Amino acid sequence: MSSDTPPARIAPAAAGVEAAAPDTHGGAPDLLGRRSRRALGWGFFASELSVLFRRRRTWAMLAALAAIPILIAVAIRVTDGGDGRGPAFLDRITQNGLFVGMTALVVSIPLFLPLTVGVVAGDSIAGEANTGTLRYLLVSPVGRIRLLVVKYAAAAVFCLTATVTVSLAGILIGIALFPVGPVTLLSGDSVSVGESLLRSLLIAVYVTLGLVGLSAIGLFISTLTDAPVGAMAATVVISIVSQVLGQLSQTEWLHPWLFSYYWLDFADLLRQPIEWSSFGGNALLQLGYVAVFGALAYGRFASKDVLS
Amino acid sequence: MARKWQRWVPAIAAPAVVAVVVAGGVFAASASADLPEKSPHDVLELAAQSDVQSFSGTVEQSSDLGLPDLSSVPGGVSTGSSGGAGGGSGDSSSAAENDASLASALELLTTDHSARVYADGSDKLRVQILDQLAERDAIRHGDDVWLYDSSDDTAVHTTLPDPSTLGEGEAPAPVPTDIATPGQLAQKFLDAVDPSTEVTLGADTSVAGRSAYDLVLTPRGSETLVGSVSIAVDAETGLPLQVEVLARGASSPAFSIGFTDLSLDAPSGDLFDFTAPEGTTVTEKPFPTRDELQGDGSTDAGGTHPEPVVTGEGWGSIVSLAVGADASELTSSPVMAQLLTPVDGGQALQTALLSVLLTDDGRVLVGAVPVDALEAAAAAAPAVPAPPATAAPAPAE
Repeated sequence: MSSDTPPARIAPAAAGVEAAAPDTHGGAPDLLGRRSRRALGWGFFASELSVLFRRRRTWAMLAALAAIPILIAVAIRVTDGGDGRGPAFLDRITQNGLFVGMTALVVSIPLFLPLTVGVVAGDSIAGEANTGTLRYLLVSPVGRIRLLVVKYAAAAVFCLTATVTVSLAGILIGIALFPVGPVTLLSGDSVSVGESLLRSLLIAVYVTLGLVGLSAIGLFISTLTDAPVGAMAATVVISIVSQVLGQLSQTEWLHPWLFSYYWLDFADLLRQPIEWSSFGGNALLQLGYVAVFGALAYGRFASKDVLS
Repeated sequence: MARKWQRWVPAIAAPAVVAVVVAGGVFAASASADLPEKSPHDVLELAAQSDVQSFSGTVEQSSDLGLPDLSSVPGGVSTGSSGGAGGGSGDSSSAAENDASLASALELLTTDHSARVYADGSDKLRVQILDQLAERDAIRHGDDVWLYDSSDDTAVHTTLPDPSTLGEGEAPAPVPTDIATPGQLAQKFLDAVDPSTEVTLGADTSVAGRSAYDLVLTPRGSETLVGSVSIAVDAETGLPLQVEVLARGASSPAFSIGFTDLSLDAPSGDLFDFTAPEGTTVTEKPFPTRDELQGDGSTDAGGTHPEPVVTGEGWGSIVSLAVGADASELTSSPVMAQLLTPVDGGQALQTALLSVLLTDDGRVLVGAVPVDALEAAAAAAPAVPAPPATAAPAPAE
């Protein structure tokens, strides 16, 4: 395991942090950590990422996400197709394994992805506060803004990793269990395997974008409390509330403002020609959420008395 | 304390900035253009002379007809499922098909849709109805017409007999999936302009980023449910960009269809080359003969095709059609059961713009009038004894 010897290039820059918080940031103490602000920022970010991705919890969540497409593919392989019901794209899997990843995304977008993102984002500040390491992080040369930005960026990277995990695991298990060929788009046109992989990548970016707004909300909630579990639960609950509101016709005026509004529109990337409007709309909407909740998180965190 | 207060400044500023940006966008979209003065007659001419045949754009349709939500009806909106099988004279599969196509047509009318339309010349058209995680396509390329539905992976292929024998404008409209473009719908209203309609011009508007004249058609009579129809006519080309139909006394449209995005460049040619993808269930459907089309262009209720009778004039006209035994078949389907309410002498459906009356003696009356006007019409002109019950089934459907 690399936990004892983080890569040399991040150690010096992250030194201030690591020295102060050996419990969660298990880097080697190194007192040469007086670098330019920029180097410190990147080093801190790299250290935060290595902490995030060395946690067993993170790996468990990614493994659970990867299990979704595998379960779907195996179930379909064993039972030899279905009767046309079930989530979108399900009945296409037997003809083309590349659809496993998309089916898995349809299944995991409403709950599993928000759940894992909520855990990471909700834990970001509250987790440090809970283990008593937040104070040490802040006395080291890490400003509160930078801490927030780095925590947020790490959560965003996790969004991408989680989405790519689902998609990639789906594609791999699909190739392993089913025939692979030109992919039929929603419009009825077919594209080559290469282009379909490119579109899968675009979809992963799209879904990631859709989750960054939720991450910002999670970060804000995380600054409100010292109990990480509470922040995680609240974030997940908000994602569910948003989707429930999105289903009710009584709240139709609200729908375009919900961060989950564009979640399932990733299928617009599977049309011929690609319908880019939802991609742009999604990006703008999420940008708004990041701006508003990022600013709220700053207001709360910068004015907060950090006691733990 | 002051410093603490300052730290909340971004938290207040960010929503304010977002609000300003949003409001700015809304304002820019609704900014009205300043167009040269024209009389309503000039704008009618402009629309009539429009010869835009190649364009691509996105069309939004929304309706608020006051109908119940049909998505929960069993065998209803989910296309392809078998609904009211059995009964009546037709065989069960065609009854189920009718029910499904009825449900699909109703669904298209009553729910909001977004569609992309590509047209190149008069014989190439592609309409893509963008559903969530699915898509319905109608593609016409010369004589070939394809309907493709991605949700159940089925395609229907029809070959048009000879384009020259078909009526103008209705050629590329083969089907339940076909969502009318604003142009097609506007044409129907414009063709119907007669002395019973008052034509005025509203304030200049902007639709899909293009300046447009707002042509307002107001029925003079008070018998109809329609309050007014406003058609946005592109100032440059005369292409109708948006049609809004308001019910009498309403302030927001009961039905509207319009471009949200429009380009007048010819779309790429390979959009119109469609072959059914591998694994798709393809149905070959012969094109209905001209006789069948003439007998009845509006409904595919199967079986008989008696002549419709039109009573009344202009906006208040009522179309009456004797359908005989089919009426009971219609009312027994779960979709219709949800929609209809019993009235004197039959069952009725009232929407914001249109009423339908199914009489007990097997007639269907339709009109843009209140239900009681239909009842009066039904009572005034009792069933014509000739065709209904005994009518022979149409030759091989």
